[in-house]
Amino acid sequence: MDILKKSGEKVVLLGNEAIARGALEAGVGVFAAYPGTPSSEVPMTIARVAKKRRMVFEYASNEKVAFETAAGAALSGVRAMTAMKHFGLNVAADSISPIAYYGPKAGLVVLVADDPNGWSSAQSEQDTRYYARMFRMPMLEPSDPQEALDFTRFAFDLSEEFNIPVLIRTTTKVSHVIETVKLGKLKKPRTKGSFVRDYEHYYNIRPGLQKLHREVDRKLERIEKKYGQKLNKVYNRNSNSKIGIIASGVSYQYAAELSSLLGLKVPIAEINMTFPLSRKFIANFIKGKKAVLVLEELEPIVEEFVKQVAKEVNPRLEVHGKDMLPRYGEYTLELLLPVFEKIFRKSYGLDLKAHKRKYEKAVEGLPPRKPVMCYGCPHRSTFYAVKKVFGNTKNVVYPGDIGCYVLGIFEPFKMQDLVVSMGASVGIAHGITRVSGQEVVVFVGDSTFFHAAMPAIANLRFHDGKSPLVVVLDNHVTAMTGHQPHPGSGFTATSDPTKAIDIAEVAKALGAEVRVANSFNQKQLEQALRELREVKGPRVLVSRGECRLFWRRNMIRKGLSWPVFEVDQNKCQKCGVCTDEFSCPAITKDTSGALPVFRIDPNLCWGCSVCAQVCPYGAIRVKKEG
Amino acid sequence: MNYDIMLTGVGGEGVLTTQVVLARAAHYQGYMVEGVQLHGLAQRGGHIPAFVRLHSFNQTVSPAVMQANADLVLAFEPLESVRAAYYARKDKTVFVINDDPLKPVYGNILDIPYPSMDEIKKRISGFAKDIHIVRASEIAKQKLGKKIYGNILMLGYAKAKGLLPISEKNIIKAVKETVRYDVDKNLKAFRIGLEMGR
Repeated sequence: MDILKKSGEKVVLLGNEAIARGALEAGVGVFAAYPGTPSSEVPMTIARVAKKRRMVFEYASNEKVAFETAAGAALSGVRAMTAMKHFGLNVAADSISPIAYYGPKAGLVVLVADDPNGWSSAQSEQDTRYYARMFRMPMLEPSDPQEALDFTRFAFDLSEEFNIPVLIRTTTKVSHVIETVKLGKLKKPRTKGSFVRDYEHYYNIRPGLQKLHREVDRKLERIEKKYGQKLNKVYNRNSNSKIGIIASGVSYQYAAELSSLLGLKVPIAEINMTFPLSRKFIANFIKGKKAVLVLEELEPIVEEFVKQVAKEVNPRLEVHGKDMLPRYGEYTLELLLPVFEKIFRKSYGLDLKAHKRKYEKAVEGLPPRKPVMCYGCPHRSTFYAVKKVFGNTKNVVYPGDIGCYVLGIFEPFKMQDLVVSMGASVGIAHGITRVSGQEVVVFVGDSTFFHAAMPAIANLRFHDGKSPLVVVLDNHVTAMTGHQPHPGSGFTATSDPTKAIDIAEVAKALGAEVRVANSFNQKQLEQALRELREVKGPRVLVSRGECRLFWRRNMIRKGLSWPVFEVDQNKCQKCGVCTDEFSCPAITKDTSGALPVFRIDPNLCWGCSVCAQVCPYGAIRVKKEG
Repeated sequence: MNYDIMLTGVGGEGVLTTQVVLARAAHYQGYMVEGVQLHGLAQRGGHIPAFVRLHSFNQTVSPAVMQANADLVLAFEPLESVRAAYYARKDKTVFVINDDPLKPVYGNILDIPYPSMDEIKKRISGFAKDIHIVRASEIAKQKLGKKIYGNILMLGYAKAKGLLPISEKNIIKAVKETVRYDVDKNLKAFRIGLEMGR
């Protein structure tokens, strides 16, 4: 495995793998995380090697618990880390804030991966850099996998040197980038420590609180002083250009590539520590310059700081950034090129606008390829049954949640009326039923159930009366992010068996009327839904069906095959239910002839049998051998 | 030198595995390698673009290929080759397309027909220096039992056509290092691709 290769070797690593390697080089002893893309491969990589490295690795039930686990270990003197996506930080924030004041006894590092452009997330393009200021925690921002590795290793040292937790922030275009990376030395993890009682220090009730706050601010001042110049870099320092570039994260890579593309020799300041920002570093860089272009995705955090510093040291400096570039989405080479051409008065000699117009014409009228639920996905079957029972009129509301089932937002279901945050569907549904006579059916995944839906379900019984119907889509794993286990899975991150918590039992204990149905059995689903529809108080349907992708992988691993289905052309009445209403991607509609012909691709059929159940004419059957 | 490759296809076709094979092969060849995978929400059946950029060690290159700048588009699915045209241009880009249409369900639902291969060629002709259509999935299925080997077959084909500045030996080494199952069949697929391209 490349991730465990020797010091000095050069290997191709994904940004997230490089971060994992950096943690291993720092001798991380405890790693806990809740998976969230674009950060998922960091815990996945550590999970694969945790046993071999004799370190502790856990998938926690949510990001807050994951952070707390890491913090508990670090407060007991063991190097610890957690990784999460941007929204995960919102969940963990409640505990991060006080721990930042306390400061750990051993290195404590939090990786957070933002997702401008929403490659793997809906909901929002939040810029988590603001959190660093609010928490009073230093934040390092690598621009590529090599820096990701180096900064992660360094973050542990920095954390220990100042007894302060450290944030590392990436974006998708750092986490999901592959690059040739030079490895450092692996360090043997230490996993044993103990918590030392210290009332003096942990006294965070007033006036101890102010003392802790003052201390953390002092630490940040010292960090700025010691590392502000060292961590940030200047390229082409000796250039005599009066215009400079200040960039952070992947924007530095764009700046460097565009400069060489246009043959520019301009100084580029790479900001690697975005909090605390170094006043001195910026002041030195902008002195004597006529203009600077600040490149950072999302919010103008560095830009505002540069403007502040410029007021003191170079009031006539022109500061460009968000006046020419959007605050939304990602930067790309083609987005930045015209800005470079304008500021540096050079031309690349390619009319990209005309090219784009030509491209848009070329793709006009093509069938869209939006993401879909897999062949044989249990969620599709559940959505189909719910739609059949409840319909999709104005009188029924379907608040959505976070997981594969978010794909129910697309045709033919359109049953994710809004998507907010992990577990939010239940709370929002409760609010809707408080004021509206509409029927409300919410969809929550199994992992999401443990993550954040349980408190909202408890709240239903607390205020019973009219209640939404909660459908728990239990496919046994956290499927969306790569089949990680959760408290209901029955096995741990390191594949050790553990007692699975039964979601139906939990829902009962939280005061709900519960039914359990097999996701691949339309009759069972329908019956359970019809029964629960009549129940007045809190009600939960646990729709149980293993993630078909996960199931299929295990079948292949065991060398097993499964029956596939086919359309009996003699019985098919061309009604189109299988393609237009059920829409398994393994079923195609050939419209080249006078009448459409429906076929199931035997290479793609994962044998779930639900299409045969929904066909009104019994025209879908198990394919005969040969 | 710089050599920019875009890979495109549909989730489940092995786009990301092939990307890693190419990246490793280029690394063994002595290039500095950059690339990015943009999968995220794409489950099975979603569209997956990925990049591999080969360059020398004294250059800083960002992860994604610039619009209109790919040298090679490896499309594992014909419809997606059209959408890859964003990264292609007439005087530079060669397309290698696997002739294995995977019709998106939304075409069914919204009644938008899947274009014919002739139409696909016509749509990308303004962006391509050359277009190779390869029956990769079909031949992989025929000779090796599974369509999935078609992606490594495509690498063999592209290599034989002089479209990959990487040695056969390094590609084979990368396949062995990267592919988790059925290494032998993948290596056979590579050889079949080489034959087809010669």
